[in-house]
Amino acid sequence: MLSKHDIYEMGNRSKGRETVATVSIDSEVCEQILQSLKEINSKLDKLVVQTEPIPPKIKQLDIVDSMDVMTLLSLPDHLRTTATTLFEIGPATAEEIATSTKKERAVESNYLNQLVRMDHVEKYRTGRKVYFQIKDNA
Amino acid sequence: MALCLAVHSSKGGSGKTSISINLAAAYALEGKNVCLIDIDMRGPSLYTFFDAKPPLWINDFLSKKCGMMDIVEDVSSRFQTSGKFFVAYANPEIKEIRDFACQDRSWQSKALKTLISGKKELFANGIDVVIFDTSPGVEYESVNAVAASDMVLVTHNSTNVSLNAIEQLITGIYNPLSKKVALINNMCHGNIMNSIVEEEVFGIPILENISCMCDVAVKSNNQVLVISEPQHWFSRSIINIKDKLERFQ
Ligand SMILES: Nc1ncnc2c1ncn2[C@@H]1O[C@H](COP(=O)(O)OP(=O)(O)OP(=O)(O)O)[C@@H](O)[C@H]1O
Ligand SMILES: [Mg+2]
Repeated sequence: MLSKHDIYEMGNRSKGRETVATVSIDSEVCEQILQSLKEINSKLDKLVVQTEPIPPKIKQLDIVDSMDVMTLLSLPDHLRTTATTLFEIGPATAEEIATSTKKERAVESNYLNQLVRMDHVEKYRTGRKVYFQIKDNA
Repeated sequence: MALCLAVHSSKGGSGKTSISINLAAAYALEGKNVCLIDIDMRGPSLYTFFDAKPPLWINDFLSKKCGMMDIVEDVSSRFQTSGKFFVAYANPEIKEIRDFACQDRSWQSKALKTLISGKKELFANGIDVVIFDTSPGVEYESVNAVAASDMVLVTHNSTNVSLNAIEQLITGIYNPLSKKVALINNMCHGNIMNSIVEEEVFGIPILENISCMCDVAVKSNNQVLVISEPQHWFSRSIINIKDKLERFQ
């Protein structure tokens, strides 16, 4: 156990060194900075390796945006109803989906575009109409 | 009439296949055009029961190698049904089952689209009732079949394990997919006829309670009971289920 006296003494000792420290600070800090720079450099090297083009095989495995039935089940209720309807009636306009789900066209359009952003659904244009369909990966 | 039923269960051996075959036959006897489809891709049964060696299987259809009407076998004359009785089989070859078990999510996604289009193709060809005999539990093909159907008939073998797992299926699969669900208590034990029978479980109606009868297991090897013994308890239950389903629509 340290006594009050010990602590007082330690404080004094460190105070005493302060004058010395101001002299040696430059070389000590420089050493630390150099060490840090080396570390950063080696970390950067690792990062560069990681961002090199990923071999196509690994990339393919990464694309699992398919709207399979398990994904469907994990969607929030409102999106699930939209997606289920799209599965059932095939490529459809927001209007057609809205008729089936008995919701507003604008609401369904919003949901469908959310599904497009999630990469589960794709949209295409035929004439003046925009159609949505469950995305086919590969 | 256009009705698509998925016969499903939480656990295996609860009577899905027996009930699917007999229910399909009951509809066909009544004059409805029926198509019974083996979706139990990992443990096909219907090819054995119907002693079938079809050139094309449901596997080929799901892989888009052919149309739905190319894979169905017409067994109406064999069973002398007044309505059309079609059956589509799952391929029992181990290589096919292995291939199927390895399919990824992208394939399953397409398989669901294909299954829905197949159902529509059958309806367009005059089929009134489509029945999917599925694998128990949360297999991809079974959940796909549930998603493609209008209604799920859950067979339950009266064990607590099965019952607990059914609750999971209801909350995790049937309800999220907005499916109508009805339960069949099969292989009930004890003096079930005299006991007070519940009307529903977890909010889903019980359509029928069928006792455990050893002769059902024996005779079901090579007979369709609703055809060979229409007065049998099992057959009467099947007719009951069919009639209740009509009111359920
Ligand atoms: N009510 C019953 N009484 C006695 N045996 C029955 C009854 N219902 C079905 N069986 C028998 O139980 C066995 C299992 O039935 P079945 O094959 O129809 O179940 P399943 O749910 O399709 O099984 P799996 O999960 O393996 O596909 C069969 O031998 C069948 O004849
Ligand atoms: Mg079976």
